[in-house]
Amino acid sequence: MSAEALLTELRSRLPAECLLTQREQIAPFECDALPVYCSRPLAVVLAQSEAHVVAVATACHRHQVPLVTRGAGTGLSAGAKPIEAGVLLVTAAMNRILELDRDAMTARVEPGAVNLQVSRAAAPLGLYYAPDPSSQIACSIGGNVAENAGGVHCLKYGVTVQNVVALRVVTAEGQVVLLGSQCLSQPGYDLLALLHGSEGCLGIITEVTVKLTPLPEDTRTLMADFSCVRAASDAVSAIVRAGVIPAALEMMDALAISATEAFCHAGYALDAAAILIIDLDGDPREVEAELLLVEEVLGRSGATRVQLAADDVQRALWWKGRKSAFPAIGRLSPDYYCIDGTVPRHRIGDVLEAIQSFAVNYDLRVANVFHAGDGNLHPIIMFDGREPDVLERVERLAADILEYCIAVGGSITGEHGVGLEKINQMAVQFSDAEIAQFMAIKEALDPQRLLNPDKQIPELARCQEYRALRRSHE
Amino acid sequence: MSEFCAEHDRSTRLQAQVQEALAGAQPLGIVGSGSRASLGLVPAGASLSVADHRGVIDYQPDELVIRARAGTRLIELEHLLASHGQRFAADIPVPTAESTLGGAIACGWDGPARSLGVSLRDTVLGCRLVNGRGEIVNFGGQVMKNVAGYDLSRLQAGALGTLGVILDVSLRLAPLPEKQVTRAFAVRREELEDWWPRCRELRPLLSASCWRDGQLYLRLSGRAGALDQVLPSMGGDDIAFDWKALRDLRSDFFGATGLACLFLPPRTPMAIQEGETLLDWEGARIWVRGGNHPELQRAVQDAGGFLRVLRGEAVPPVVAAPDWHRRLKQAFDPRGIFNPAIFSDQFGGGGEH
Repeated sequence: MSAEALLTELRSRLPAECLLTQREQIAPFECDALPVYCSRPLAVVLAQSEAHVVAVATACHRHQVPLVTRGAGTGLSAGAKPIEAGVLLVTAAMNRILELDRDAMTARVEPGAVNLQVSRAAAPLGLYYAPDPSSQIACSIGGNVAENAGGVHCLKYGVTVQNVVALRVVTAEGQVVLLGSQCLSQPGYDLLALLHGSEGCLGIITEVTVKLTPLPEDTRTLMADFSCVRAASDAVSAIVRAGVIPAALEMMDALAISATEAFCHAGYALDAAAILIIDLDGDPREVEAELLLVEEVLGRSGATRVQLAADDVQRALWWKGRKSAFPAIGRLSPDYYCIDGTVPRHRIGDVLEAIQSFAVNYDLRVANVFHAGDGNLHPIIMFDGREPDVLERVERLAADILEYCIAVGGSITGEHGVGLEKINQMAVQFSDAEIAQFMAIKEALDPQRLLNPDKQIPELARCQEYRALRRSHE
Repeated sequence: MSEFCAEHDRSTRLQAQVQEALAGAQPLGIVGSGSRASLGLVPAGASLSVADHRGVIDYQPDELVIRARAGTRLIELEHLLASHGQRFAADIPVPTAESTLGGAIACGWDGPARSLGVSLRDTVLGCRLVNGRGEIVNFGGQVMKNVAGYDLSRLQAGALGTLGVILDVSLRLAPLPEKQVTRAFAVRREELEDWWPRCRELRPLLSASCWRDGQLYLRLSGRAGALDQVLPSMGGDDIAFDWKALRDLRSDFFGATGLACLFLPPRTPMAIQEGETLLDWEGARIWVRGGNHPELQRAVQDAGGFLRVLRGEAVPPVVAAPDWHRRLKQAFDPRGIFNPAIFSDQFGGGGEH
């Protein structure tokens, strides 16, 4: 590869304002929302159109230069960290909503369109885009597809892959491929799903057609207090067992409650060991029937208090608390690190107990606020980065937690992606044959391994090294 | 669980058969019960049977997930789930009492409830398979959310067994509705366009629709309290419509020697001159018996949809990114031993290299 030849080609193909090569211009793009991993790329391209994306992909392919794509940069696994000898392609400026189709209930958008803006644009049609990651005011739809993002409401409405019907994708060779359609079935392999969660390693998304959902006629919110975490965890399973699929089913433990209550006075019980916040939505008569069912289950499961939000103001306040849990915890601790693992619902209680005992081993505190309904944990490790050796303790605690998730039948990531952050744990969740199968897929669609090559799938040698290292710690 | 499903783990034998085939460069035609043969979906010269690799591996109703071996009979699984007040989250066709779970995944077909619910693909959480290197590999899992690595389990749904031998699958479940009612309305074909917006107003209680012979059938599912309030003002006649016969393609309509299916974007007007029609998915899927297949394919492609022929004159397959299909086939099955004929017939694996 020749960096100069690449830059010359990019200069000839792109408007000058799209290409950043000066150190101070590039600095803001050195990391995503996991800033412990950062590096400075050769150049940053701020693409304004699919033609720009094709130009960049073609040039990188011709000159054999690695290419990392990012949207808004809100990712939490360093999946969009640039590569020093590579190009960082930013699609955030491609942010138009191209078409809203009331009859088909879809929206065609550019990859940089912000998640919440799509819902806002669709609201006059009585529709919205259901997946709602916590970063929805800032995160882009293209990034959501690349990470297969989840959110609070995926228990009932699914994650990104269940809410996208078509994509335009630029391949590693610079070809445009159309995947999916408005039809409710597709012939052939499920390539649309393969691109979801592929972390920019298989193709570059240039257009997304999302499915829109009718705004629910009625939404009611319950909050239940529990005096022990185990009872709250068991109540989560009991609700599902009773045949109710809530729109959202979230849990916060005592540490998260106290941090949040101090931050935004949502009205949470400070003496509770855990609370559940539950949304039921849909047809008002169904919501009414399910409210009774859920209240009954909560009572039976040992809730010390169950409240129904009196009005939309109270609902919004309860949810504001939940959604601001991360900054609230940030006030209690100089630094924090949020991880992401999933476990079978009936093991939530076991995992929360294990997390607390692991935390004691490393002399750290962990707060929990998470999507209990789909078993998606977000343990937040609180620490002070000025302490010597603390980063290593945090990393080892995180690894213990993730590996416990695998041990109980779960996964190292539910919605944040592997990126660089969890690349070691891939070696624990998957065998060499499985990693090799992932590699074969990568090489099938990107034979030169140019697209985000250092992310998501570890080299086999690295897997073996990591497994040996973990064994030596035991 | 065992009272419902016989238990036989044949993973080792199936793996050995694949390794033998690899050693002898012998293509394999994978078959379950063969119940989809009359729909043109079973390989000629089928030589690898997964029908006796059966049984439920894990089912905990709290989790809304079931994991079972590929040869498990769908009907047994349905009984087991129903005994716990649950069902598959997708509307999975069960052509005969022998039809297997593996066959359903490989074909990836959806029943009439798909348009108002989820597709089979959407409910595949995990999958274990023997790949074309003779290795047993496991992707996804039993959890609702999982983004570790590429989603290679969902990729098996609809792949027609061309990427590996599916050993077992984990599928998302849903609670059975408390109450279900079907109403029939006399509606002429040309009046349907006015009915689809009315159907939207019945969401989220509407769970399936079907039109045939001047009758529109609407199924409502949900809490009894909700249905009891909606039904009196809804009109139409209560009827015992056999949705399973429609889902499983057992209705007399599907017995024709020429049978094709049009998949269309929602609310696409489509005039069909030749043959008899049946609509479901609020008109987004049209079944045609005795139609002119090449003509139908032209019309449906112009409308942004595609045609699938089940019986009668075949049409060339149309898939998105045929080159990616070939590359992925190669990545899973480098020696090309799994259902090679199906791959070239259905996914255009033959031409334009």
